[in-house]
Amino acid sequence: MASITFSINGREQMFDGDEDMPLLWHLRDEAGLKGTKFGCGIGQCGACTVHVDGEAVRSCSLPMASLDGANVTTIEGLAQGDKLHPVQEAWIEEDVPQCGYCQAGQIMATAALLKSNPNPSDDDINEGVTNLCRCGTYHRIRKAIKLAASKMQQA
Amino acid sequence: MNTHVSRRRFLQASASLGAFSVIVSKTPSLLASDTLMGGSMPPVLKVDANGYAVLCVPVPDMGQGMLTGAAQLVAEELDIALEHVRVELMSFVGSINDEGKAQFGKLHQGTGGSLAMAEVWMPLRQTAAYARSLLIDAAAREMKADKADLTTKGARVINAKTGTQITYAKLVDKVQAAAEPNLEEVALKPAAERRVIGRDRRNVASSDIVTGKPIYGIDQDVPGMLHVAIRRCPHLRGGLVSHNGKTLRGKPGIVDVIDMPRLPADPKERRLVAAGVAVVANSYWTARKAANALEIEWDGSYAMNTDSAHFMKIGMEALDSASMTETVRDGDIEGALSRASKTLEATYSHPNWAHTCMEPHSCVADVKADSAEIWVGHQFMDVAINAASEATNIPAGNIKANFYRIGTGFGRKFEKDFIQEACFLSQKLGKPVKVTWSREDEMEQDFYNHMAFYKLRGGLDASGKMNALHIRVAADGRFSSATQEIPCGLVDNYLGEWLLLPTALSTGAWRGPGSNVRSWVTQSFIDELAEAAGQDTLDFMLALFRSKATVEMKNWPNLTLDLSRHVAALEKVAEESGYRNVLPAGHGRGIAVFQTHHSLCAHVVEVAMKGEKDFRVVKVTSAIDCGLAVNPLGIRAQVESGIIDGLCAAKYGNMVFEKGVPVTNNFDTYRKLRMAEAPEEINIHILDHGDDTPRGTGETSLPPFIPALTNAIYRASGKRIRRLPIVESL
Repeated sequence: MASITFSINGREQMFDGDEDMPLLWHLRDEAGLKGTKFGCGIGQCGACTVHVDGEAVRSCSLPMASLDGANVTTIEGLAQGDKLHPVQEAWIEEDVPQCGYCQAGQIMATAALLKSNPNPSDDDINEGVTNLCRCGTYHRIRKAIKLAASKMQQA
Repeated sequence: MNTHVSRRRFLQASASLGAFSVIVSKTPSLLASDTLMGGSMPPVLKVDANGYAVLCVPVPDMGQGMLTGAAQLVAEELDIALEHVRVELMSFVGSINDEGKAQFGKLHQGTGGSLAMAEVWMPLRQTAAYARSLLIDAAAREMKADKADLTTKGARVINAKTGTQITYAKLVDKVQAAAEPNLEEVALKPAAERRVIGRDRRNVASSDIVTGKPIYGIDQDVPGMLHVAIRRCPHLRGGLVSHNGKTLRGKPGIVDVIDMPRLPADPKERRLVAAGVAVVANSYWTARKAANALEIEWDGSYAMNTDSAHFMKIGMEALDSASMTETVRDGDIEGALSRASKTLEATYSHPNWAHTCMEPHSCVADVKADSAEIWVGHQFMDVAINAASEATNIPAGNIKANFYRIGTGFGRKFEKDFIQEACFLSQKLGKPVKVTWSREDEMEQDFYNHMAFYKLRGGLDASGKMNALHIRVAADGRFSSATQEIPCGLVDNYLGEWLLLPTALSTGAWRGPGSNVRSWVTQSFIDELAEAAGQDTLDFMLALFRSKATVEMKNWPNLTLDLSRHVAALEKVAEESGYRNVLPAGHGRGIAVFQTHHSLCAHVVEVAMKGEKDFRVVKVTSAIDCGLAVNPLGIRAQVESGIIDGLCAAKYGNMVFEKGVPVTNNFDTYRKLRMAEAPEEINIHILDHGDDTPRGTGETSLPPFIPALTNAIYRASGKRIRRLPIVESL
């Protein structure tokens, strides 16, 4: 079995374990990156959303076998050093988090959406960010997405 | 032990540390300031060398905003910036009672009943005010000034006479603490001088949350820890017969396969811990994959013949024929109904709801011969410690518990099962273990919101006033509370009756226990009666709540309600929503008001139909009466949360059972609301009746939202929703 070579947050990795293992569990239990959350295990809730080659994917349903050559970004790698990503800033400014458990996934989904669609309409947001939030912060997430979009356009 | 000498010793030590602490005292007065006193006792509040505060919050935060509100109390009384209060979660500081159980001491360390802020309101302010008084005393000595001339602002003590200032940072190692401070004598800041309490403050945990810090229970690992995935018996009240776990032994990464007994063993008893098979491995994925592949034979005989249709049948039959227990009887119900100019009868029902806590349950346990340690997110610290003690037979006093932020609780994180499994396995293996639940198990092994069936008969007199109400309830949990809810106490002739339905389900507390559904039934039936009386619902409700000045709540917390507050909330939402303005065709407005625990909320909900079978929520106008508002921004967040949760539960919430097995067990079958369906506009008004204490907000907005919604759907579509979920009734 050949090793899988990929990167997490810019750091090269080799993986030669169980190729069926979802990326989520590699991140949480082997790479020590707990920011990516387990929510449902079937790709429904989006708490485990990360970027693979810039696209938002649900890591609970992505086997390690599919990652050879991929660049993975997790919530821990979204900020540039101490400088938060505009989506993270917007989340704080709109006071989005309540329990906060789903928010890493929401932020990763939003960052990917805004990269491909810098000025999303309400419908674009509804279709682009379908993650579950059990606290019901949707109202503020929508505001934060719009704030982040305007921050990124001004930047 | 708290002698003058030890205090001086502490002060010498603290001088080099450059900090002072206020800790929970073991003595009768509430708090003391000598860290030597408590030994390992954690501080409530520490003022560090920078003059900044470290606050240990006694109550876990599960999204209700506890950490932020608590930090506000301390920043206010200590006169420092909120940004300079660092918050941590306190460990358990209660005591062990004569029965060997952990119990709360001077601080309440649980979150439930929307009471967390009310419980810490006084002790945390007193703690901070006491710390401030110590700083002022130190400044008076340093400045050789009269204490009466000293005031505080921005982490400084200021001499009002001379204008000289000294920072807290320069005072912390000059503080001399009293052995037994009399906190009753410590002056709290007058309300008129508050600058932090009552102002919008953002969640203090947000920067950790948005950067993915490991702050939740499920994020905790300990060295040498083994991972566990458990296959739990999906059959209601079921047990384990056999499995092929032997085939796993010796496979890479697999450590052990262990049978999990059901607790209690008697299937007639409510489940505490499910029967199952635990796969222990060196990683969660290895354990999960192996557990999923196990072949297991379960004993599902106990509830094999029950399913959702069966529950519906026995519930409806009970309404018509069962002999029930009388809970309230006022006046002459049958006489009043026979004399009424108009009578109305309706049957309501709702299925069970799952909690679907966003963070699946998990617990790390490390059980030794005579002590144990757990790492867990749990709503009640005493319950968690007692759970570990009961599972291991280790005295509660020898259990160390580490608590974390909770990825929502809703009442489910009050239960013991996820702690007891980890303790059982760690004790058996002699190693630390982490048990992580699957989403499927979180729903299958839930302690659901109860299902219930209701028959209501109401009577109106010639003037259109409600003069009789009879409510019969059959429920699968001990939820008789609907039979003694308002309008009980406001109707001269009233009869409430209830019956415990014999089902195999296990029910528990779900956000706004009892209130969440009885609000719907009572406020929807009031809407029906108003229509029968030929009155607008707002007018009918206003007349009802003006008919008496007060009413005694017959449900917990058994308050005497000043009904002018119901009236004020109704008037506020009516005015702010433009309640009496004409709406476009296909739109409808509904209104409701409800007291949940100590607080009150009213909503006007506007919906627009999307075809005949669906709707969207156009606008919600809310008025919350929650006493003193510590953090209006956080209160609005809780109101928004209850609205979304209520909308989601009422529209989709439906646990379905077939042959005694829950078949809705993940988000593909148990539907939750997503962003596209969130209300388009929410306007929240926080009522100010001049109260001097907070009353709680976490559960308040949900119960009245559901009747306001279904009343709106009725106006928009002509369809009266008497059976939840709404998607199946439209």
